Amino acid sequence: MTSMITMILRRLAALPLILIVIYTITLTLAWAVPGNPLENPDKRPKPEVVEQMKKQYNLDSFPRFYISYLSSVTGFEYAKDWISGDLSRDQQAAQDAGFPAVHRPIFDLGPSLEYDDWTVNEIVSSALPVSVTLGAASILIALVVGVGAGVIGAVKPNSASDLFTLTVAMIGISLPSFVIGTALLLVFAVLIPLFPVGGWGGPMKAVLPAVTLSLPFAAYIARLTRMGMIEALGADYIRTARAKGASENAVLYKHALKNAFLPVLSFLGPAAALAMTGSFVIEQVFTIPGMGQHFVNGVQNKDLFLIMGVVLIFATMLILFNLVVDVLYRWVDPRIA
Amino acid sequence: MSRMLIPVAVLVGLVALSIFGDRPEPRADLTFINASEVNTLDPQRMSWMHDLRTARLLYEGLVRNDVLSDDFGIIPGVAESWELSDDATTYTFHLRHDAAWTNGSPVTAHDFVYSWRRALLPDLVSDYAAMFLNIKGSQTFYDWRQAQLDGFTDRTFANADEQRKAAYDLWEETKAQFDALVGLKALDDHTLEVTLKRPLPYFLDLCAFGVFSPVYEPLVAQYERPDPVTARLIRRAGWTKGGVLISNGPFELTGWRFKRDMRLTQNPHYWDRDSIAIRTISIPSITDPNAGVLAYQTGSIDWIADVTSPYRGDMVAQKLAFLDEHKDRVAELQALGHDQFSITRMLPDDPRAQTHAVSSFGTYFYNFNCKPRLPDGRDNPFADARVRRAFAMCIDKASIAKEIRRLGEPTAHTLIPPGSIGGYTSPAGLPNIGDATTQEERDAIIATAKALLKEANFPDDFVVELAFNKSAGHDLIGQAIAKSWQKTLGVQTSLSQKELKIFREDLKNKQYMTARAGWFGDYGDPTTFLNINQSKDGNNDRAYNNPVFDDLLDQAAVELDPVKRMALLSEAERILIEEDLPLVPIFHYATVYMFDAKKITGLSTHPRTKQNAYLIDVLGDGIGPDQPRPMNPDRVQTEPTP
Repeated sequence: MTSMITMILRRLAALPLILIVIYTITLTLAWAVPGNPLENPDKRPKPEVVEQMKKQYNLDSFPRFYISYLSSVTGFEYAKDWISGDLSRDQQAAQDAGFPAVHRPIFDLGPSLEYDDWTVNEIVSSALPVSVTLGAASILIALVVGVGAGVIGAVKPNSASDLFTLTVAMIGISLPSFVIGTALLLVFAVLIPLFPVGGWGGPMKAVLPAVTLSLPFAAYIARLTRMGMIEALGADYIRTARAKGASENAVLYKHALKNAFLPVLSFLGPAAALAMTGSFVIEQVFTIPGMGQHFVNGVQNKDLFLIMGVVLIFATMLILFNLVVDVLYRWVDPRIA
Repeated sequence: MSRMLIPVAVLVGLVALSIFGDRPEPRADLTFINASEVNTLDPQRMSWMHDLRTARLLYEGLVRNDVLSDDFGIIPGVAESWELSDDATTYTFHLRHDAAWTNGSPVTAHDFVYSWRRALLPDLVSDYAAMFLNIKGSQTFYDWRQAQLDGFTDRTFANADEQRKAAYDLWEETKAQFDALVGLKALDDHTLEVTLKRPLPYFLDLCAFGVFSPVYEPLVAQYERPDPVTARLIRRAGWTKGGVLISNGPFELTGWRFKRDMRLTQNPHYWDRDSIAIRTISIPSITDPNAGVLAYQTGSIDWIADVTSPYRGDMVAQKLAFLDEHKDRVAELQALGHDQFSITRMLPDDPRAQTHAVSSFGTYFYNFNCKPRLPDGRDNPFADARVRRAFAMCIDKASIAKEIRRLGEPTAHTLIPPGSIGGYTSPAGLPNIGDATTQEERDAIIATAKALLKEANFPDDFVVELAFNKSAGHDLIGQAIAKSWQKTLGVQTSLSQKELKIFREDLKNKQYMTARAGWFGDYGDPTTFLNINQSKDGNNDRAYNNPVFDDLLDQAAVELDPVKRMALLSEAERILIEEDLPLVPIFHYATVYMFDAKKITGLSTHPRTKQNAYLIDVLGDGIGPDQPRPMNPDRVQTEPTP
């Protein structure tokens, strides 16, 4: 148990370092992308206006932007102003001059350069719950379908049912989700109007996108489970279990699956992070207000604050999920501790 | 293994909670797709068409355009009447007493002064600040404030408190300066006096533009304050959210979820509420063009304000085929003066009839870089107007409109869509190979063009580069133009496709040879198109510089006689598109709508493409009069009853 806590603490301590490296690389790349984030495709702001805005957001200097963004995202700037008393002095002075108090967020991801009326904090807090819900739902579907199909295949390798599940898994991995998504939409929303065409809110709208998103994961889990099960079913301890007279179900689910599931578990960490940070394609096809679109649109609009915000969130989730999986791993299989 | 079931069960519970906790809202009286996610609901910061379309639902300016008439005339809004002084520079607006904000407080002249001042602050970087610079003294004020801000960062302060105080003092001084310098006065709560620096025949049309809408000072001022370090007024997001925004238009904003949907409810305090025939509006954020069409087909959408799916050409073709099947009836109805939506409504039911291509207040064109040297330092043959003329004549515009765009769009010979501005006569434009009806005619045009090239000593081995941004079929149009030039003029071409942001940057810096472009007009006057070709204009991507052209626009600016003024502007456009050709108009845009004309009424077919969606009546829903709202209701002749 103590070793587990040490591991968790060690991994958490490494988190900021990894994030700083990711931040530095991403910002350098995003900064190097040509084009000006303040350009409007139709009506062009005046040059002096663009200069002013650049100054306001520190877009005129890489080092300045690097430092100022880092200190506001980490809450360092807020803490500094709070400790120095600047925060309350500023509020007081504003109130004395007849201006309202401004409540600054502690962790400030900055404004969106493309969407005037939204801060990146607001964008992330509205999009992330949607993506996490959809991603979690699809991972659950993938687990049930994938493990089920893998076990069926492993029980009778090379049988018709095995071949069938393998083929379906192959299709699930190879077909891009915009094809599957559009096909599902056409069949189950337009031809047979069981589900709404798109949008978010309520269980009916979640079914088709969750299924579409789950397919590649389900397929991969099915293959992992099948391989693990075939290997486990040939192992000595299974023969022992059978020899001592354990029922076939007990052999399959209690003994074999327990070991066969470990590779699936290690796949689940990155898979969950990937599923829960949104998919651009699925969000487009099903009109879902999730995170995935911001990765693509942020880069296209060169919306620097949004790019950095979503990348940092994604990186944090990826690291945390891997940690959760490692903890689960030890919990399920005490040998690894 | 059973240990694994615990986290899975927890996950199932959380997902179920999240999904079932997020219930969809009931269907609104009108649901429409607004082309794209709204960028801002702050009127003074707006510049996108979909933002302005939403603004007209939420806000009301001094006056409005009568969008359901061919003359697009000015009708009262918050102002119930107005007078113009004899020297045509001072407008006095009398505000109606029953105009109210969504919280019930009255709309006053002070609200307009406050809002227009926002647009004139360099701090808030309004894209349309230039429109307000027509007000007397506004340029002086703008420059003064800019200079103060520039100077502020150079000043030294003893400590942060002193700097903060100086920033706040500067703001007080700025407000006093505005009142002293700018010709915008609230004479009392209901009288607004605007003094222009010179007569501006289209000023009322500007007042109908969304950027001139008022905002509610007690709310907006909560979100703006001078930055203690730079002294600039910093605007924070927040006041444009659902349940927070206080506006004065026919509708109020009850919800706005980013990239998800927007919900509007009738403003109970709106003075003209009795004329509104819808109670709730929902604007889902469907940005994928196919998803939009699918949603329409399953009946969850009433109107798509801009269909952009790749197969929309086929949809329009089917509509044309449908109209052709009923062509006798269509001709009959046209003769009676019915507009295109009314005609569709009176024809038999057909799913093909629900697509509508409407002519737009915009033009697609190709720019020529007019600088004497190309970006790589070579001589620029396009600096010679004869070369530009020759290339302009040899673009097969008709085939681009007919075979690539396929939206029934008219080919363009002028920059300003003909017939879109009352009292303006468009020049004829150059002959074009696409218009030639016979091979001889076509050959003659090509021969003229070749002669022009020869006269201008166009170099033999010159490769013409065409630049365009990725997306929306610009590549196909670029290829067609390149092919036209290869075939007719025998020149070599190369195509250059760029990312939008890079493309824009290159245009601005004149890092191109020829490049695609488009322009949509903002107000009902030829200058909205012509001004971008003035030598000093910020949108003159062509580096076009003709003192004669500039001079004509300057003359028109001070000409008081409207007929003479229009003649001057017409002459300016003639120089532009018959002699100098810094740009080649290719076609005038059409916008494709999807709606059932038997169900939705109150949309305008006017080429200014400005919809006041609060005029919509959903027929047969039991709300409002449920009567068709056609264009020019007074002028339409009723059918003789058999």
